[in-house]
Amino acid sequence: MRRLEYIGTTAAQGFWRNPVMSIASTFTIGLMLLLFAFFLATDRGLQAAVGVLESKVELAIFLEDNARVSDVLALRARIEGDPAVSRVDYVTKAQAMARLVDIAARRPDIQIVDTSSNPLQDSLEIKLGHAQDASRVAASLREEIGKGVVSDVVDNPQVVDKLLTITRVLSFGGLAVLAMMLIVALFVIVNTIRIAVHARRDEIEIMKLVGATDWFVRWPFIVEGMLVGALGAVAATAVVLVAAGPVMGAMVNFIEILPLSFGTTFVWQLVGSVFALALAVGGGGAMLSVRAHLAK
Amino acid sequence: MVALLGRGNELITLADVSKRYPNGTDALRDVDLEIDSGDFVFLVGSSGAGKSSLIRLLIREELPSSGRVWVDGQDVVRMRRSAVPKLRRRVGVVFQDFKLLPRKTVAENVGFALLVTGHSGEEVREETERALALVGLSQRREHFPDQLSGGEKQRTAIARALVSRPKILIADEPTGNLDPVTSWEIIKLLVRVNELGTTMLMATHNAEIVNALRRRVVHLDHGMVVRDEREGQYAA
Repeated sequence: MRRLEYIGTTAAQGFWRNPVMSIASTFTIGLMLLLFAFFLATDRGLQAAVGVLESKVELAIFLEDNARVSDVLALRARIEGDPAVSRVDYVTKAQAMARLVDIAARRPDIQIVDTSSNPLQDSLEIKLGHAQDASRVAASLREEIGKGVVSDVVDNPQVVDKLLTITRVLSFGGLAVLAMMLIVALFVIVNTIRIAVHARRDEIEIMKLVGATDWFVRWPFIVEGMLVGALGAVAATAVVLVAAGPVMGAMVNFIEILPLSFGTTFVWQLVGSVFALALAVGGGGAMLSVRAHLAK
Repeated sequence: MVALLGRGNELITLADVSKRYPNGTDALRDVDLEIDSGDFVFLVGSSGAGKSSLIRLLIREELPSSGRVWVDGQDVVRMRRSAVPKLRRRVGVVFQDFKLLPRKTVAENVGFALLVTGHSGEEVREETERALALVGLSQRREHFPDQLSGGEKQRTAIARALVSRPKILIADEPTGNLDPVTSWEIIKLLVRVNELGTTMLMATHNAEIVNALRRRVVHLDHGMVVRDEREGQYAA
């Protein structure tokens, strides 16, 4: 108990004995963690957006007006047999017209002048499991054009492709920036603890002289580093929780497909990850700093 | 091969020990030395003769360039780094500059040695009181180092060195910063500690004390043992 008390008290003293460096470290770690939280949230948001888009990926096959029902059914069965396909719906030309009328009723910029004739075609709407299969399935279906059943194949995977590219760029870019911030945070922590070690060098010398283990010497500094990390995490979490609403609102307006809320589970995961990284960086930086001193 | 042919009562053995520093200085050269349990040994010699280097080898603050060192049956050279703290708990060390922590009281300075080696609060309190009583500082237990005289500071350092009941007490110039009267008080205390069973190794320049006590004297000169006498004098 006395040892724990000693470790805790010494760590707290170390933090307040050098307030400028301690606060600078806390600020740097806080910034790094804020970036980390933003990265996690953005990544999760984009993943969700990709998921939403992927679930909407469709190919449409327009059928010849005179195609035989048995041929259409055979084609449908063959498409459903493809493992990349999750669902196939048959849409009659009447249903297609009804949809168009419905859309036109909600969109003032669209007007249907004449509804007496229906120039639309029957179609098969194909839902895919993953966006990346769209071009392959579309290519195989295009081979059916001109054989009496399929008149045209329409696919539009470019939006998903673009989103996947953005996700990849943001992931790599975010990771690179995060790695740089991590190095800066470690550097600041190592220097803060080095100053604390220097301030207590006489005490450390006596501790080693009377037979304290290296771990006993290390622990107060590791706890001090973790304290700096934890305070940075508290600051970053507070900023994230306060700013989350407005930022999310802006993002949802900007990219309409982002989900409105991440849910409580994700928030807890985010807070947990932020604190875990903070403690690891704070404690790890302190370890590096003390190890260099003890190795002398 | 002194160590291997020893009589079995040695607490400290140095066998053919040399220490050369990276700058080329030979601090110790082919030193063979045995110190028995219960001995009181003066280590004398001019500055730079190798006294402090020898002491640093005994607490494994440094390793010899060649040769072997045993302390209380432990091979100091080959022991793992993790075993060093246990060695140091069996070897108390006192320095000329006391090495006290200025923001801790006398009792806290003494108890610190037990606190950082994992003893319970009860043990820390009991052993600290015992050590303070032994050095005669029970009344000054709540004072800070800057409120103490030089002799009291050194007695505090001795109490800290003794609080973990070491087998060996090494004193590196313990009277170097003290006036003659206070020096004698410290020496009397160290003699008493030795009489209670703790082996003493004391590096000193104080010829008067060495000559008056007539204990074993090991004389180092340029890193070599040039004289080792049972009831020796400072100068032969």
